[in-house]
Amino acid sequence: MSALGDLFGALLPLSMRDVERDLDDRIRKIPTRLNEFGYDPWGLHPQTIRKTILPALALYKYWFRVETHDIERVPPGRALLIANHAGQLPFDAAMLSVAMLLEAEPPRILRGMAEFWVSELPWVSIFAARGGAASGTPETCREMLEAGECVIAFPEGVRGMNKLYKDRYKLMRFGTGFMRLALEAQAPIVPVAVIGSEEQQPGFANARRLGRMLGMPAFPITATFPLLGPLGMLPLPVKYHLWFGEPLHFHGAPTDEDSIIEEKVDQVKAAIEALFERGLRERRGVFTG
Amino acid sequence: MEKVLVTGISGGQGRLLARRLLDSFEVCGVDRVAWEGRPKDVNVHQVDLRKRKFEDVFRTEQPTAVVHMGMVRHFRVSEQVRHDVNVRGTKQLLDHCVNHGVQKLIVISSSYVYGAAPDNPFYMDEDFPLGATRSYPEMRDLVEVDTLASAFIWKYPHIRTAVLRPVNTLGYYVHSMIGEYLRQRRVPTVMGFDPMLQFIHEEDVSEAIALALEHGLQGVFNVVGPGAVPISVAIRETGGTALSLPEPILRPMVDRAFRWGFLPFPSGAIDYVKYPVTLAGKRFVDATGFRPLFGLEEIFHSVRR
Repeated sequence: MSALGDLFGALLPLSMRDVERDLDDRIRKIPTRLNEFGYDPWGLHPQTIRKTILPALALYKYWFRVETHDIERVPPGRALLIANHAGQLPFDAAMLSVAMLLEAEPPRILRGMAEFWVSELPWVSIFAARGGAASGTPETCREMLEAGECVIAFPEGVRGMNKLYKDRYKLMRFGTGFMRLALEAQAPIVPVAVIGSEEQQPGFANARRLGRMLGMPAFPITATFPLLGPLGMLPLPVKYHLWFGEPLHFHGAPTDEDSIIEEKVDQVKAAIEALFERGLRERRGVFTG
Repeated sequence: MEKVLVTGISGGQGRLLARRLLDSFEVCGVDRVAWEGRPKDVNVHQVDLRKRKFEDVFRTEQPTAVVHMGMVRHFRVSEQVRHDVNVRGTKQLLDHCVNHGVQKLIVISSSYVYGAAPDNPFYMDEDFPLGATRSYPEMRDLVEVDTLASAFIWKYPHIRTAVLRPVNTLGYYVHSMIGEYLRQRRVPTVMGFDPMLQFIHEEDVSEAIALALEHGLQGVFNVVGPGAVPISVAIRETGGTALSLPEPILRPMVDRAFRWGFLPFPSGAIDYVKYPVTLAGKRFVDATGFRPLFGLEEIFHSVRR
């Protein structure tokens, strides 16, 4: 595994080698508290990230050519990032994670809540945990925030992930759980707009019933999938822009009824929509800009 | 001076506890086996918890406090015997406590009663339902002991009763399932799984029990050590070699090996090295100010192979 890594490292273009060299330094600066064996209480292990991040880095630099805007708006300490979710496969989460590690000050590990079935998948369960995700209840998420972590949530969930091409840059219904959590943990919410992901894998239909038969949450029909088989899962080389909004601070009781919580949720949606508008206006093209 | 009766006093944890308690309590104990080389002021009665003679110990010793750790936690005896000793034995003990004026009772349960499952949240508190039997039916007697003792808290509030659920306990003296597991020459693990496990040192468990007695705790408490590591790290740090097997092979293998007596645990135990069971220890810390003395490295080094 590591010999393969070395070989891969030797073949890297120069610009990637710089990033590689930088990585150790940045991982050292992560504020997360680790025990004497290098793990945090939820199984995060930055050294595993260090060893396995290369493919994500390559996607970040060369495939999606990710550009971040105003990432310095993410406050130090606890923060809840709320972003749009799209593109059939969660490349948006991966690119946000790399961005937080490479470009945020101090570098942060983006923590995520994994579905419970993740902990039943061999290897996937290990990599999810080492990379900072936890099979989560809201309780786990609250504890992470209180420990000063930076947590990502996609309130659109699979509704967003499998949205159709005609609905690109339209926010699907948001759940309210994230807002109750932010209120409980008194964590600032940072709205994030991911520009690019919504065009990476244009979906034309979703064969939900077929998906359910195959034990998947959805079965998207896209330009390339299932036509080209697994190869068709490869996203288009769209250009990614990550726009970070001003942190929003909310106050109130986390147990308030839905209508009150939804008002606050709408403010977050509006903030992301404003970022959409700016991001779409300022980009030159889907692939080039 | 308070007098403490310890059940299972001749076991590793029992001996440690007895020595720890001698500073501030009079100590006596019961066990089925003798304790060679015990301190001379510790009386050990060789009786069976299920027998009438056990009640005589209460009559003659008149303990003011009882620490109940005399459970059978291994599977080398039949299910019938385990049930008899653990469940009926505990029931007898609870009755004796009521009838003989015991004021404090500590029952030593374990983190295993929560069960290992993929949908366990991280750092479960004491109110989380006990799910061990969902996939590990052989644990039902120990879950029942925990439940009996927890109900006893409410039935007899004038007896200060605490149920302690310590996490995986390791050390030089203690005989624990996890210790036996880690001491194997090749330690079988489930391929593709590496859950976080919490550990605590045997001396810290004794300390926790002593603190619970001194504070007269009432309620159910998780007792958590210095932290958690993936099981692979625990195997490496205790000097073992992991033998990673795919679950469809591992499970029937463990089943057979257990039935033929080569392995000390049934296949239900596999879940404990597949899914995390992590506990929140805040309630106990808030009530007693407990701080584990032994770090993870010391805990792993205390395992003799």
